Amino acid sequence: MTRHTDDNGEATDANGTSGGDDRAATDGGVESATGGTDAPELDPDAYDPVDVFPGGDLDLREGADSCYKCTSCDTSCPVAEVDEEFPGPKFQGPEQWRLKRKEDHDIDESITSCSNCMRCDDACPSSVPLSQMHNEARGQFVEEQMEKLSVEYVRNRILANYHTSAQLASVFPRTASFTMNFGPVRWVMEKTMGIPKERDFPEFATETFREWWKGRGGAQVENPDKRVAYFHGCYSNFNTPEVGKAMVRVYEHFGYEVMVPPQKCSGTPMFANGMLTDARRHAETNVESLVEAIGDGADVIASCTSCSLSLRQEYPELFDIHGIEDVSEHTYEALEYLRINEDLEGELAENELADEQSYAYHAPCHARNQGLSRQAVETFRDVDGVTMEDVGDSCSGISGTYGWKEEKYEKSMKIGAEMFEHMEDAEGDVGMTECPTCAMQMEHGTGYEIKHPLQLLEDAVVA
Amino acid sequence: MDQQVDVVVVGGGSTGCGVVRDLARRGLDAVLVEKGNLTHGTTGRMHGLLHSGGRYAVSDQKSARECIEENMVLRDIAGHCVEETGGLFVKRPEDSEEYFQEKLEGCRACDIPVEVIDGEEARRREPYLAHDVEKAIALPDGAVDPFRLCVANAADAREHGARIETHAPVTDVLVEDGEIVGVEIEHETGPGKRVHGEPGTTEEIRARHVVNATGAWAGNVGAMAGVDVEVRPSKGVMTVMNTRQVDTVINRCRPKGDADIIVPHETACILGTTDEEVDDPEDYPEEEWEVDLMIETLSELVPALEDARTLRSFWGVRPLYEPPGTGTEDPTDITRDYFLLDHGDRDDLPGMTTIVGGKLTTYRMMAESISDHVCDALGHDASCDTAEAPLPGSESEARMEELMDEFGLRSPVARRSGQRLGSRADDVLDEYDPNPVVCECEGVTRAEVQDAIGEAGSDLNAVRLRTRASMGNCQGGFCSHRIAAELAQEYPEPVVRDAEDELYQERWKGQRHALWGRQLSQAMLNHLLHATTMNRDGDPASLDSEVDFGAFDAGSESGTAGANEGGDAGTAAADGGRAGDDAATDGGI
Amino acid sequence: MAIDSDVLVVGGGLAAITSAVAAAREGADVRLVSHKSSTLRQASGLVDALGYVPATEPAQPLREGPPTAGRELDRDDWPDPEGPLADPFEAIDRLPETHPYRVLGADALREGLALFDDLAGDAYRGGHTETNALLPTFGGSVKPTARYPAAAEAGIASDGRPALIVGFRSLTEYDARAFAGRLEAAGVPFDVAGAEVEFAEAFRADTKVTRLAKALDHDEEIDGVPAREALAKAVAPHLHDVVDEAGGVDRVGRVGFPAFLGDQEGDAVRAELSDRLGADVFEIPMGPPSLPGLRLEDRLYDALDAEGVRFETGFPVVGIEAETDGSIETVSVDRKGRETPYGADAFVLATGGLVGKGLDSDREGVREPAFGLHVEQPEDRYEWFVDDAFGDQPYARFGVRIGEDGRALDADGEAAYDNVFAAGGVVGGADVAREKSASGVSLATGIVAGRQAATEATQ
Repeated sequence: MTRHTDDNGEATDANGTSGGDDRAATDGGVESATGGTDAPELDPDAYDPVDVFPGGDLDLREGADSCYKCTSCDTSCPVAEVDEEFPGPKFQGPEQWRLKRKEDHDIDESITSCSNCMRCDDACPSSVPLSQMHNEARGQFVEEQMEKLSVEYVRNRILANYHTSAQLASVFPRTASFTMNFGPVRWVMEKTMGIPKERDFPEFATETFREWWKGRGGAQVENPDKRVAYFHGCYSNFNTPEVGKAMVRVYEHFGYEVMVPPQKCSGTPMFANGMLTDARRHAETNVESLVEAIGDGADVIASCTSCSLSLRQEYPELFDIHGIEDVSEHTYEALEYLRINEDLEGELAENELADEQSYAYHAPCHARNQGLSRQAVETFRDVDGVTMEDVGDSCSGISGTYGWKEEKYEKSMKIGAEMFEHMEDAEGDVGMTECPTCAMQMEHGTGYEIKHPLQLLEDAVVA
Repeated sequence: MDQQVDVVVVGGGSTGCGVVRDLARRGLDAVLVEKGNLTHGTTGRMHGLLHSGGRYAVSDQKSARECIEENMVLRDIAGHCVEETGGLFVKRPEDSEEYFQEKLEGCRACDIPVEVIDGEEARRREPYLAHDVEKAIALPDGAVDPFRLCVANAADAREHGARIETHAPVTDVLVEDGEIVGVEIEHETGPGKRVHGEPGTTEEIRARHVVNATGAWAGNVGAMAGVDVEVRPSKGVMTVMNTRQVDTVINRCRPKGDADIIVPHETACILGTTDEEVDDPEDYPEEEWEVDLMIETLSELVPALEDARTLRSFWGVRPLYEPPGTGTEDPTDITRDYFLLDHGDRDDLPGMTTIVGGKLTTYRMMAESISDHVCDALGHDASCDTAEAPLPGSESEARMEELMDEFGLRSPVARRSGQRLGSRADDVLDEYDPNPVVCECEGVTRAEVQDAIGEAGSDLNAVRLRTRASMGNCQGGFCSHRIAAELAQEYPEPVVRDAEDELYQERWKGQRHALWGRQLSQAMLNHLLHATTMNRDGDPASLDSEVDFGAFDAGSESGTAGANEGGDAGTAAADGGRAGDDAATDGGI
Repeated sequence: MAIDSDVLVVGGGLAAITSAVAAAREGADVRLVSHKSSTLRQASGLVDALGYVPATEPAQPLREGPPTAGRELDRDDWPDPEGPLADPFEAIDRLPETHPYRVLGADALREGLALFDDLAGDAYRGGHTETNALLPTFGGSVKPTARYPAAAEAGIASDGRPALIVGFRSLTEYDARAFAGRLEAAGVPFDVAGAEVEFAEAFRADTKVTRLAKALDHDEEIDGVPAREALAKAVAPHLHDVVDEAGGVDRVGRVGFPAFLGDQEGDAVRAELSDRLGADVFEIPMGPPSLPGLRLEDRLYDALDAEGVRFETGFPVVGIEAETDGSIETVSVDRKGRETPYGADAFVLATGGLVGKGLDSDREGVREPAFGLHVEQPEDRYEWFVDDAFGDQPYARFGVRIGEDGRALDADGEAAYDNVFAAGGVVGGADVAREKSASGVSLATGIVAGRQAATEATQ
């Protein structure tokens, strides 16, 4: 594969980003990294456990072995709570997989209603690989059963490939921001593509994070002992570069050398739409460049909790790319990493914020899944001048691209209703969250300004 | 009320059901009596292999030829009971090459279609196969559901005028003037039993001929008539896995031995088996080593079995028979062929024929042969059509898309319902709206459970066998009470309660042999659910002593007043003592 | 660098929360780490203390040797339990000696219940008396319990008002008619009828109960009628279904529903239904998925937050990382594939039993995987069970044994470590299911472990 760096500092490979790759979506057909022919006999670990179904699909039936039917997953599902047509994660996961036979290809259509919030993973006491089952089933459904010329498919493909459209839009950010949200254009989008007119497209920054990074001359701290590779993701690059800048300044404050390796979309929106082929192509680039950074002694830091979750969990579950386990093991969320490796609370205790501010904090589902749902509250609750109020454990309802579909808009807002109420009940009128799409929904539902914890951290320790 | 019929068939296994169907279709007046459910004995306790004949291709070619013939017949007449999985005889490095060749030639000699594939191809077809499997013979083994098969035979027999009497053990064989003239049966009492006659009563069924199709129990029935039938019952364990590690029948290609077959059956895989002669088909030890042997030995073929979840184990007894004086020591060497014993010829006691030996795959052929014999004896002239006439449910295939769209089922539920019900799917599913799923593990809806209750009465184990409800991972933990609740429309409360207990205990029985790891967690969860929350063990409704309700907390607001004043509160409400009450009683809500 | 606290509580259920709060109230800096969301959401929401003393000796000799095919399971193998008990405390002395209540004493249970009353506040009832209450549950009859959700109170069985049990045709958990019949068979001192109504049918048959709760929370319109009104309308025709002993018809004083009457707005939903029906409304505790369990979980985690306890969900403790002189210094926590040391002066193990995965097993034996503590068990797995499903099952009593100060014990009955305490389902010796003592054991062991851990950490 040849790689070159384009003007945006973005890596593209010779394949380009068009969907011309007809390789099987997942890795069943690729020789397993763990199950070579020289593997010792009778060692169950030596056999690729999921490579069963024809066409390279994964067989996840054995995941049903762990299920004892307790329905904890169902009670954690924000979609089942508002959508009586959605039979819940237990059915979608272990039950549907257990009822499957090799010759059966059909997956129940309701899998497309799963928003991929992955709360069920966190709920399951038996560690059933629920989201992996959902991702794979959705991939198989989209690949084998979905009409490829349908509006829904095309729309989902566009939403899933936000990276591509954002890259185009950021060339003319002002025009793009205006046009995308211009009334008649939106009407057409709703009618022809099923994108709800109520949604405002995110504004594109006039200067992307990578442009800023290039402009400042890259890293300003060099430290071979403390290196991090920043996975900024699409959103911090194109829409909220201030989050990326905060990350760099905070980490440099703590003496880290920040690297910004070439990268593409983490795949989160693609998983949620069953576009596993697209996700895999991007993953190949990401893994290659992150492995190189890890080789240079860096850990991988993401400021978007969906990106970090994807690199940590979905990558190794769905793809079999050389080095993908290393990436998974070295990836952290930005605040999490500092809390583990630095005396963050000690540092914060010494600082004081000039302006008193109360925040209504929402923990994104994907943060929850990484055990991070309390980190912002616990980090900031003793900082003078800051009030951090947790608005509860409900889902924001946007789930990445879910809330961007016309047929899901109402449900998305219904899921979010509880969060909106709690935000309004909270003292502050500034919202806080780690997830850019949750932030969009929070802003959409309340009109509040939404910040990332890194921005507050920047105010507290850098400024 | 005593009855005079042409033939009474004793035993509701595959042979008995096949015989009664055949006789009824030939126009004879036949009754089938069975002491438990249909398939209560050996038929309900087998691994569900539809033999291609490959297993007997070296040792017993006559059986092998019969198997392949009948295998093809059953695919035609019992499509909804058969899954065409295909089978493999796989060879590991330590297995004999010579035997592999013998097996191959044997199959060819018996007209069993075979194909030799290398290890790589075998693993392409079944990726969980061990990496050192060298090669395999592919042949048309399949999986058959013995419950559905028997039920369909019985249903067809009933349609042709036969009477099917379950939970009716034979208590005597009637002998008059040196001739067998019928049987005496007892209609069982007890919870959950389907009773045709008055419970606890006996009935004499007089018949021109008695067919003893009781398999491993044939000696007991013989003894009632005063004849010796030397059946040599041999036990074998079957271990049920939670999921299908393979979708093809996997046989170990070696001469003989325990633990050499894996049968994909419905949602599960069944590992088999052992072969040990026992004294009494009713009472023999079910041993730990047998279960361990299945898992350890078959892991050599499919390593994933070592760590996979086991749901339960069960044992069956083979009705092996050999003519007196053969003297085979090892039960695995006893022939799998069947024998027809005419007690008139053999014991000078006309009026009864016993059939022993044989196997499920050839049940129809055995039934044909004994029916021929009975017709001869009775001088009845009619030909057999059971090889051509499809069984009820197999007339045509259920169309899954229709089930999904018309009956609002999720696709895997529709698929399973369609596979189980065959051509009856439309009729059965049309009955209930709403039609919630009652057993989630196996995707069984209310309509199917109610259909089975209609056929089997309040015996929930019979309902289970017809529908597979409660046969998945939770083993009844999340559904035995739901299935029981489906009885409430027709049956009084104590029947519902007893039926639930009986099903729950039956599900527990098999789980004892799988009580580690994930199934132990499941068992504990089931225990917590049924004992803690549902209080099934300490339910005052089932305890002998009465509860003094007045001694318990009567609520924080009524303070110490308790039960007595509660009655007044009720009156107050009835008198309209609440704001909304008038409107409510007027229906003006 | 280790993530430190005075006390590290491992687990996320009732025992873990109890011990974390108890330790925090003793002044310790407490961190709680749990692998998965709390299994409280599987619980019925009833808080039991002790409802029965179940038989530990069979009525007739049990089989010797392996199970046999021929032996039908006989429920009469075991005598009826003693109970239901009105007084949970006086019966403690009749429990086996190794039972945690016997080890810790009745006061541990009293104090645990008092702490629960404090945390649960007005959402729970039963704290006004030491006497058990009998409540109808979805199994169809009644069970003894010490505390019950306010939402369930009107269903209490020692109340003479006639009751109507409502079932929904599209829900399969119980049939209301059989339920009523079973209550009658239990000899309840009130007249009762059951009615299966249409309501949930407006939704697809596999709709989750959380959806129904949400629809009632928001009073969503169902076919043009607000949900609460629609539900009341479905029930109204049955308010006179109860027939008393004399054959007369009574208007019911209370109406029981499966426990999904709202989530956040439960009180308002019940109040409106009650108003419309002219009868008290109560919820019948159900199996999972359980709204009362979810509500309790929410309330207890809010309490945890209010007590200043730090908590993380998503990470299992996978082993001991460092120990010196019989004390554990750090444990290893698996943070999404990276093992990270967590240090503390004292540890509380509250990871649950076989269901909560605080105990693990294979064909060879049963283990406590986090700290590797000793689990008492028969060597042969065929002695882990008895034949009657509801007999005295050895597996039901599996777990770590504790001393009177809550410390986990080793095989010799000595403290396994100076600073490791155990609480809740991971503690063995009780058959909490047959005793109806699950919550009580968690509360009693939780409060002792939490306090002792705090003492150990702050001394």
